[in-house]
Amino acid sequence: MSAVGKKGRDGTTSSALRAAGVRVSYGDRTVLDGLELDITSGTVTAVVGPNGSGKSTLLKTLARLLRSAEGTVFLDGTAITSLPTAAVARRLAVLPQGPTAPGGLTVGELVEQGRYPHTGPLRMLRMQDHEAIRTALTLTDMTAYAARPLDSLSGGERQRAWIALALAQDTPTLLLDEPTTFLDIGHQLEVLELIRRLNRERGLTIVLVLHDLNQAARYAERLVVLDRGRIVADGVPRDVLTTALLAEVFGVRTHILADPESGAPLCLPYGVVGHD
Amino acid sequence: MRPCHGVVRATTAVAPLPRSAGARRFPILLASVGALVVALAALHIGLGTVRIAPGEIAAAMLDRAADPVHRQIVWELRLPRMLIALVAGVMLGLAGALLQAITRNPLASPSLTGISAGGVLAVVAWLSFAPAGLAGGGVLPLLALAGGLATIALVYTLSWQGGSDPTRLALCGILVGAICSALTLLLLVLDAQRLGSVLRWIIGSINGRVWVHWEILWPWALVALPLGLLSAGAANALGLGDATAAGLGQRPERARAALLFVAALLTAGAVAVVGAIGFIGLIGPHLARRLVGDDARRAFPLSALVAAAILLAADVVAQALTLDFPFGDATRRAGLPVGALTALLGAPFFLYLMLREER
Repeated sequence: MSAVGKKGRDGTTSSALRAAGVRVSYGDRTVLDGLELDITSGTVTAVVGPNGSGKSTLLKTLARLLRSAEGTVFLDGTAITSLPTAAVARRLAVLPQGPTAPGGLTVGELVEQGRYPHTGPLRMLRMQDHEAIRTALTLTDMTAYAARPLDSLSGGERQRAWIALALAQDTPTLLLDEPTTFLDIGHQLEVLELIRRLNRERGLTIVLVLHDLNQAARYAERLVVLDRGRIVADGVPRDVLTTALLAEVFGVRTHILADPESGAPLCLPYGVVGHD
Repeated sequence: MRPCHGVVRATTAVAPLPRSAGARRFPILLASVGALVVALAALHIGLGTVRIAPGEIAAAMLDRAADPVHRQIVWELRLPRMLIALVAGVMLGLAGALLQAITRNPLASPSLTGISAGGVLAVVAWLSFAPAGLAGGGVLPLLALAGGLATIALVYTLSWQGGSDPTRLALCGILVGAICSALTLLLLVLDAQRLGSVLRWIIGSINGRVWVHWEILWPWALVALPLGLLSAGAANALGLGDATAAGLGQRPERARAALLFVAALLTAGAVAVVGAIGFIGLIGPHLARRLVGDDARRAFPLSALVAAAILLAADVVAQALTLDFPFGDATRRAGLPVGALTALLGAPFFLYLMLREER
């Protein structure tokens, strides 16, 4: 696929985000178990896996919304917990799953919050803040909605408003937790095309959790498959999506074809393993 | 499009974004509610056993009153009373707006989070048990503050389950508030002699408030009001949920605790001087948000002004009722407590707003 990682000074690809030996548990239940993951700058990585496999937990841990019991997350080579929260928010934006806001807030007011880590205690906006807000609204095609309250929007529009909030943070790295949930197929593709555009045109490093394996294979250059808190497969979609893996992880019997348009692998699930 | 991230130097000048209806309305609304507050303040000063015309009030204020009695009434009695109603209203309105933002619950208010009840309990306990010589004056706000802070700390601790949660916070507040109110009543039953004077204070009243009380109130207002207004930005981020707020670089737990502290400061200062006047800290912010939207930078200042207008208006009505319809001797002497009126009119009004919103 196209996007090439930014080359470091020594000619190697640089790491935007790295999880080293990360273990996270909720009470007795270990959700992530000694996880190792290195995200290269300027790439799109999709995290897939069955429900409860730890995808959201992984994303939250990478974004330091959750603290790991063991191990460290490195943001641009620095331990993320050693950085001030605002400094992290200037380098990494995260859109959690199913975010909520007061319904009377307008799109413009929501997106303006993306400048929170860039502004002083009085939250006064400078020229570059207005520009970033403007750019975020343009990229998501939400400029015309700026004065509209959130509760007057459709699901797709609202999702785009939230993505605009993350974009207004103007960070080199963007983490998105199921950005296409609750959207119809048209809006899903719109969001995915936007993600591709942000990566190709602006070099953003993007990690996203997706449910749809075929969309993940088409829009990400790297798939990370999680199962019960461990990475069970990691690589380019063509290598990762195999009948054996899908049977093992998702428990489904599939045929895998090549997408006639993009050449990406295309899974056709036929049934549940053991029920045929 | 350029192939790098980073602030994009706009190729064209940044045109201002279209503003929301709430944002467009805000300056006009702020000015008109401000004017309403001034008018109500004049009415408030003018009304009483001796009615004073607006012209006379202005003359008295400028020390040029035709009637020296009028000058004395305005300066010694009416002016401090009006200022206390005004500032207490502002404080309770801002506290309510803060609490509604923190709990993400439009039903939160100083009285429903236990802060008022805790402050009242501390003061009543002090009035019941302290040596007679010490019972009064400047120590009361400190007690109300200690009581309010202790209550909100207790509520915060009780609702903590690996993190604080706005809904649990609101529910614990209601329960702890109920316990405080019950304990207050118990103290009053044990010490029935004080019932009359303390009860007016529990209901909340501005009657008989003079410069001594103003001296207690203004320092709190001076500290807590700017803090409350300046926390609007933090409240906006917190309103997007803990995960989003943390993603924006805020520490949500710390921000929530800090905003609760400011709300407790505002509430305790007001409660210490005028008592637990209910519902204006609920209705003021509610009305304000309906008018200018949920952005705290607009909702906070307007909530404060609307609440002040409501408290002044309610006290004007309470005085008028006292004059025209004497409710027994005690009321005629001491005046109808405004807290009774705000509760009586405020609760049904709030019910009406809620039912209308449901539709």
